[in-house]
Amino acid sequence: MPEPILRAERLGRSFGGLAAVQDLSFAVEEGEIFAIIGPNGAGKTTTLDLLSGLLEPSSGRVYLAGVDVTRLPTYRRCHMGLGRAFQVVQPFPEMTVEENLMVGALFGERGTPAAEAERRVESALERTGLGHLRDAPVEDLNLLQEKRLEIARALATDPKVLLLDEVMAGLRPGEARQAVELVRGVRDSGVTVVFIEHVMPVVRDLADRVLVMDHGRELARGTYAEVTADERVVRAYLGEPEPEGA
Amino acid sequence: MRRRGLWLDLLAAAVFVGLLAGLPAALRAAYGQASVSYLALGIRAVGLAVLALSWDLVARTGQLSLAHAAFYGAGAYAAAVLLKLTGAPLWLGVPLAGAVAAVLALGLGAATLRLYGIYFAIATLAFAEVLKTVVKSLPFAVAGGSVGTNLPPLFRPVFVAGEMERWEVAFLRNRGYFLVYLGLLALAVLVSVLVQRSRLRYAFTAVRTNEAVAGVMGVDPARTKLVAFVISSVIVGMLGAIEAHRFGSVNPDATFSVHTTVLALVTPIFGGLYTTVGPILAALVLSGVEETLKRTLADGYLVAYGVVLVVSVLFMPRGLVGLLRGLVRRERARRAAAAPRAEALGGRDA
Amino acid sequence: MDLTLLPQALVSGVLASGLYALVAVGLALAIGVIGIVNFAHGEFFMVGAFLAYQLFVSFGFDPLLSILFVAPVLFVIGAAIYSSTIRFVLKAPELNQMLLTFGIGIVLQNLALMVWGGDPRSIGGVPYRAMGIQLGGVSVGLVPLGSFVVSVLLVGALYWVLARTPLGRAMRAVAQNRVGAGLVGLEVNRVYLVAFGLSALLAGIGGVMIAVIQSPTPTVGLAYTLKAFAIVVLAGLGNIRGIVSAAIVVALAESLVATLVPNGDALRNAVFFALILGTLVYRSWRRP
Repeated sequence: MPEPILRAERLGRSFGGLAAVQDLSFAVEEGEIFAIIGPNGAGKTTTLDLLSGLLEPSSGRVYLAGVDVTRLPTYRRCHMGLGRAFQVVQPFPEMTVEENLMVGALFGERGTPAAEAERRVESALERTGLGHLRDAPVEDLNLLQEKRLEIARALATDPKVLLLDEVMAGLRPGEARQAVELVRGVRDSGVTVVFIEHVMPVVRDLADRVLVMDHGRELARGTYAEVTADERVVRAYLGEPEPEGA
Repeated sequence: MRRRGLWLDLLAAAVFVGLLAGLPAALRAAYGQASVSYLALGIRAVGLAVLALSWDLVARTGQLSLAHAAFYGAGAYAAAVLLKLTGAPLWLGVPLAGAVAAVLALGLGAATLRLYGIYFAIATLAFAEVLKTVVKSLPFAVAGGSVGTNLPPLFRPVFVAGEMERWEVAFLRNRGYFLVYLGLLALAVLVSVLVQRSRLRYAFTAVRTNEAVAGVMGVDPARTKLVAFVISSVIVGMLGAIEAHRFGSVNPDATFSVHTTVLALVTPIFGGLYTTVGPILAALVLSGVEETLKRTLADGYLVAYGVVLVVSVLFMPRGLVGLLRGLVRRERARRAAAAPRAEALGGRDA
Repeated sequence: MDLTLLPQALVSGVLASGLYALVAVGLALAIGVIGIVNFAHGEFFMVGAFLAYQLFVSFGFDPLLSILFVAPVLFVIGAAIYSSTIRFVLKAPELNQMLLTFGIGIVLQNLALMVWGGDPRSIGGVPYRAMGIQLGGVSVGLVPLGSFVVSVLLVGALYWVLARTPLGRAMRAVAQNRVGAGLVGLEVNRVYLVAFGLSALLAGIGGVMIAVIQSPTPTVGLAYTLKAFAIVVLAGLGNIRGIVSAAIVVALAESLVATLVPNGDALRNAVFFALILGTLVYRSWRRP
C-alpha cells in the first residue's frame, strides 16, 4: 500500500477554550481529488491552515509524503511540495500576472535558477489559461481571473499536493464549470488536490472521496454518493441547494 | 528581461552619480565663494537621500521601522568611541560603524519578528530611546556621558597662501565630504537597484503584502525581513559615522534624535515608496524646498514646509514617482485615443 | 536603595499616571474610532498648554478656569483639521496618514514657536502651585493631585460616554465595523468629526495641566505623541479600557526608578520605553 501523500493524525486545534478541530485523522492518496465539506464553522479552513503550517496544532501530527512536517514552517512545507490557494485572493500589488507567478516559481523550491522559474511560470500560465493575461496588472483582473491567478500562483511552486479553499465562491454557474475543468486539469497533470467546497454539484463532479466535518470532528467519509445518503450528514447540513442550470 | 533592466538601471545610476561628482567643480566655477554654502546644501541633500533610501529598503518588506535614529547614532558612536579609546586610523570607524549597526539590527530584528504594523513601529522606537539612554549612561571615559565627545574631521585641507583664497579651504573640505557622501549614496543606490532587479524584489513584495501568502509560496519571511533590516542598518550606520566626523562631535540627545527617524520616513513617502528614484528625488526636492523657504520666508519657514508636506499627501498620494507615472500614463492614453480608432472610449486608461 | 522613599514613589507614580492616561486615551480614540495614525496628537497637548499660559499671562485666568475655554477651542481646532485634511486620508495607507499628520504637527509646532518662541514657559504664578498636603509620610503636591483628579474625571467621563450614550455607541459601532455602521445609517463622517475633536480636546486639557506642573516648550509635542502611542500600543490597539492600567504601570515604573535608583531621574525615559519594548516582544512570542 503506497504511502499516502498527505496524512493528518489526530489533529486538534483549540482557541482558548474552543476546540476548532478535534481528533481529526485522514489520509489523502496520491493523484486523487479529496473534498472536505461541512456546515459553516465546522473547522474546514482551520484544517487547511493546520495542514499548510499557518496554524500550529494543539495536538496531533501532519505527514507529507511520509515525513512528519508538524513542526515545519509554511515555507518549508512549500519546498517539500505542499501548495495552497486562499479563498480571498491577495495578489501582489503593482505587479503583473506573470510577476505574481514568479514569486512562487523562484521560491517554491530552494535554489531555483531564473530560467527554470520562467519555465514554471509558463507551465502555470498554460494550465490555468492565463497566457493572454500575463502582462496584465493584477488590479485589472475580474473575479474568475483572480481565482485562476490564485491557483496559478500555487502551481508555480511546483506542488505535489494542492490545497484549495472554496474556489467556487462567488462564481456564476458558467464560470464554475470552467473552474471545475481547471481543477480536473490540475489533477491530470499529476497534482493531488484537496479542496474545501460548499457548492455541492462541484463536489459531486470532482471529488473521488469526501470527508464531512461538523463541529471540528469527522462526521462521515466516503464517496459523494455515500456521504450524501448518510442521515447524519443530511441532518447536519446539506450546503447550498443546487443552483439552476448546474 | 530582468537582465536588461538591471544593466540599464546600473548605467543610469552611474551616470547620475558621475554627474553629481562634477557638481563641486561646477558650483565653484559658477558661484565662487558662495559655492561653499551651496555645496553644504548639496551635502545635506545627499545625506538625506542616503537616509531615505536606507529606510525605504526596510519598508519594502512591510516593516515600519522607527529605529533608524538608533542605527545612525550607533554608527556615529562606534566611530567616536573607536577614536577615543584607540589610535586606529580615522577611516576605520566607518566600516566598524556599519558592523555595529548590523549587529544591533540583527538583534532587534530577530526579537521583533512577530510584531507587525504599529506594534513593530513602537517597539523599534522604544529600542531607539533605550539605546540613547544606555549610551548616555556609559562610563564617561568611554563615550562622554551626556556631554558626548568630539571627533576629528575627515578632511583637513591646508591653506597655502598665494596659491588659493581663504574660502577655498572650506570649499575643499566640503568637496571632500560631498564626495564621501556621494560614495555612500552610490552604495545605497547599488544595493537598492540590485534588490529591485533580483529575486529579492519578489520576496520583499510578497512579505510586505502578506506573510502567510509569502510563506505558502516558499518565501522565508523571517530571513527576508532580517536581510532587509541588516542591510539598511549598515548603510545608515556608516552615514552616522561620517556625519559625526563632519559635525565634529556626538552627544546622545542630538545624535540619537528622533528627528533623524522622522526625516528618514517622511522623505521616501513624499518621493514614492518602494522605489530607488523616489527617496532620492524627494531628498533633493525637499532639501531644495526647505532651503528656498528658509531664504524667502526666514522666520516661520517651517510652517510653510509643513504645509508642503500636508498638501503633498493630499494631492500626491503615491509620492513624486506616483505623480510622474500618472502623468506618463495619461499622456500615453491621450496619444492612444488620438490615434484613429473606432469608438475610442474617451481616452481612459485600460 | 532607600526604601523609605517607596510610598512616596508609589504615590507620585499613580498621580502621574492620570495625565498619561488622559493623553493616551485621546489618541486611542483617534486610532480606534477613526483609524487614523495621528502623529500630531502631542501638538494638541502643546497647544492646550500654551493657550492656558497665554490666558494666564494676558488675563490672569486660573488654569482650572482656562480648561473651560481651552476645551472647546481645541475641539474646534481638531474638528477643523479633520474636515480639511484628515477626512481625505482615511482610506489611504498608514504611511500616508503618518506623513500628513507629521506635516500638521510641524505646522502647529512652528506656529507656536513663532508666537511664543522657544523658551520654556510655565504658569508659575499660581498660588497653589507650591502647596501640598501630607498624608502619612508622603507629601502630595496639590497640583499633581489636582491634575490626577481632573484626568480621572475626564477618562471616566469618556468611558461613560462610550458605554452609555448614543454618541458613544455610534463611536464603538464605527470602530468595530466602518462599512457596516454606514450601512445601518450612522452618519459615519459626523462620528469621526466628533471623535477627532474629542481627541484633541482631551489632549488639550492635559496640556493645560502640564503647563502648571512643568515648563513646556513648543517642541514638547512629539515626545508626548510618542509616549501616547507607546501606551496605546501597550494596552493593545482597540483596548481603550486597558489604557488606564497601561498608564499606571509605566508611570509607576518611571516613578519607582526615578526615586529609588541612584541617578534614576535620568533613566525615566529608558524605563518607560524598556517596559514597552519588553512587553511587546514578550507578548509576541507567547504562543496563542
